[in-house]
Amino acid sequence: MNKKKLLIALAGNANVGKSVIFNHLTGLHQHIGNWPGKTVERAEGTLHFKGYTIDIVDLPGIYSLSTYSLEELVSRKYIAVERPDVVINVVDASVLERNLFFTLQLMELETPMVIALNQMDIAKSKGVQVDTKKLEQLLGVPVMPTVAVKGVGIAKLLEKAIETVEKKQVKKQPQVTYGEEVEEKIGKLMEKMKSAQLVYPQRYVAIKLLEGDEEIERDIKRINPEIVSAAKKLAGEIECIHGHCCSTVMTSERYEAAGCIARAAQKLVSPMKPSKVERLHNFTTHRVTGYLTLVFSLLLLFYSIFTFGDYTSGMLSDLLYGLEPFFASVFGTGIVGSLMWGGVMEGLIAGITIVLPYIIPFYIILYFLENSGYLSRIAFLMDNVMHKIGLHGKAFIPMMLGFGCNVPACLGCRIMETQRERLLAAFVTTLVPCAATTVIILGLVGDFLGIHWALALYIFNLVIIFALGRLAFRVVPGEPTALIMEMHDYRWPHMKTILKQTWFRVAEFIKIAFPLIIVGSLALKLADVSGVLETVASVLSPVTVVWLGLPAITGITLIFGVLRKELSLVMLAALLGTTNFALVLTPVQMIVFTLVAMLYIPCIATIAALVRDFGWKKSLFITVFEVAFAILVGGIALRLLTLFL
Amino acid sequence: MEKRNSKRSKVPLTALKKGESGNVASIGAGHGRGGGFEKRLMDMGLTPGTRVTVVKSAPFHGPLEILVRGSRLALGRGMAERIFVEKE
Repeated sequence: MNKKKLLIALAGNANVGKSVIFNHLTGLHQHIGNWPGKTVERAEGTLHFKGYTIDIVDLPGIYSLSTYSLEELVSRKYIAVERPDVVINVVDASVLERNLFFTLQLMELETPMVIALNQMDIAKSKGVQVDTKKLEQLLGVPVMPTVAVKGVGIAKLLEKAIETVEKKQVKKQPQVTYGEEVEEKIGKLMEKMKSAQLVYPQRYVAIKLLEGDEEIERDIKRINPEIVSAAKKLAGEIECIHGHCCSTVMTSERYEAAGCIARAAQKLVSPMKPSKVERLHNFTTHRVTGYLTLVFSLLLLFYSIFTFGDYTSGMLSDLLYGLEPFFASVFGTGIVGSLMWGGVMEGLIAGITIVLPYIIPFYIILYFLENSGYLSRIAFLMDNVMHKIGLHGKAFIPMMLGFGCNVPACLGCRIMETQRERLLAAFVTTLVPCAATTVIILGLVGDFLGIHWALALYIFNLVIIFALGRLAFRVVPGEPTALIMEMHDYRWPHMKTILKQTWFRVAEFIKIAFPLIIVGSLALKLADVSGVLETVASVLSPVTVVWLGLPAITGITLIFGVLRKELSLVMLAALLGTTNFALVLTPVQMIVFTLVAMLYIPCIATIAALVRDFGWKKSLFITVFEVAFAILVGGIALRLLTLFL
Repeated sequence: MEKRNSKRSKVPLTALKKGESGNVASIGAGHGRGGGFEKRLMDMGLTPGTRVTVVKSAPFHGPLEILVRGSRLALGRGMAERIFVEKE
């Protein structure tokens, strides 16, 4: 029995507590990557239990196994091709019917499975009582009640899963029986495919062909195109009988079956009065109080993160800069020493003073909001506004993240459904002024011209975002998608899961950004030491001096600002020889400089994040466009502002 | 689900007032990827004959909040306009 290997997959709807169960099972032995060639996340972990080494894969949270989204396709392929020993289907007991709809589809994939009937506590408080035994009997699959956030039932769930594997239960699970006319057609198609070698179960292929599933059609066409055309004809017949298209008929019947099972297994005790969660929901989505709450919580979020970040970041950098004498004693103060300290170490310090004080708290709060359910309410409230730039409400979330740092924000665009919307959202996000840009806006314009000018720049930035967002929405081919999103009940999130999610995000950030920050910082130092900076300044002077009306030296800051954005202001001070910018820059110059720094591509790490999800071509295009656009706007601003100021 | 296809008037979901319910009659074909979204709506439980309750709509022509099969969904207005229901 020793060292036997098992592969278990977790599958289920979004927000049913799947990742909480995953965390309970795998603890720290997990890692998150991407599905090969896809921008869909793949979380894996291992655990040892009863002499087994068990690999657990957490499939993305989905509502169906069709080809609507990449996530659905990836999940279905995984189950069919990798054939996990058992699938744990996590089911939200408080929304049983919709969850069982997914369960029935899993069963059609003919995979061995166990059901984790999760959120029993929430169901109970909503007045839903589920009879586990009855459900087990109706589905023909083991059902284990769990309350994942409290860790209840997890060990038993695992035992049940192993038991299922050990029993090798050959007995076929009962499946959805469709209407007579549909079943007859499924039978006909199965007959035709009898000899074919298929990845998916035969019945499943027949069902999906009738539903007009594009991926399956492609596969079968390669084997025998006649089967596809036969399926099309049969589907047409079903459409004739029912007056709805065939996939609608079949989805309805599947839902009907799910509904029947749910009604038989659950007892509804109507709750006495709107519960606390219900009232909280009403308050936070109300047309007045909802928006007030939204504005208030966003202000609180940014205020607390920036206050905390500013304080901790200052402390950390003081602490780390204390190492300088030590470095000098090891590497000397010559070229090597200054490259080691000014290049590598300062880059590292810059990274650390961003990650610890800003990014970590930001993610913790963000995941708290997501797991508690508030983010979906924000998306609900902001849907309308986001539609103006051709995106739906969910896109507001990466944009919000962008105010902290553009790197995680660009990666966060994966929450959008289609590749097109991911790209549009990422484009808009790169225009959002991040924390480093905020330092420039506040430190230059805010300090020397007054806060109203800083605010004006922010508002101008928003206008630009909307204008360019709209433009991109027109230019990029494809159709906009509408918002279809579940707003699950508010609940208190599981803290350990939040911390773990945060940790993975931060690790991802470190992996993408740190090498680039260090390399950028090294390049900067190298250029400085070798005296190339002067040349760069004079080469750029047609743009900086003639078009933007700035001192030639600012060209250096703008170029190297791409490498280390947060340094722009420090660098400017160093190059101009003073921190009192009022002595060396006119108000108009300050505004123009800030405008350009605000609008051009955030930084090299953001470009790397874009490349990762969208490839070189698109990332390069966005970069070049934004740089050109920033310079254009800067020059126009100069000419307009000199008329007034 | 056929039997409900009687003479009762079909209205878009957006025509329902706060708190009103209706049964899904049909989903108007959209343009472009419309087919995919119809499927998506089905998958979320909005199959023909299903009872839908409009809870509220976000202001300024924002999305609708609806109850379907015991779950609470936010539905973009453009989408909701294409869902036709028979008012109860």
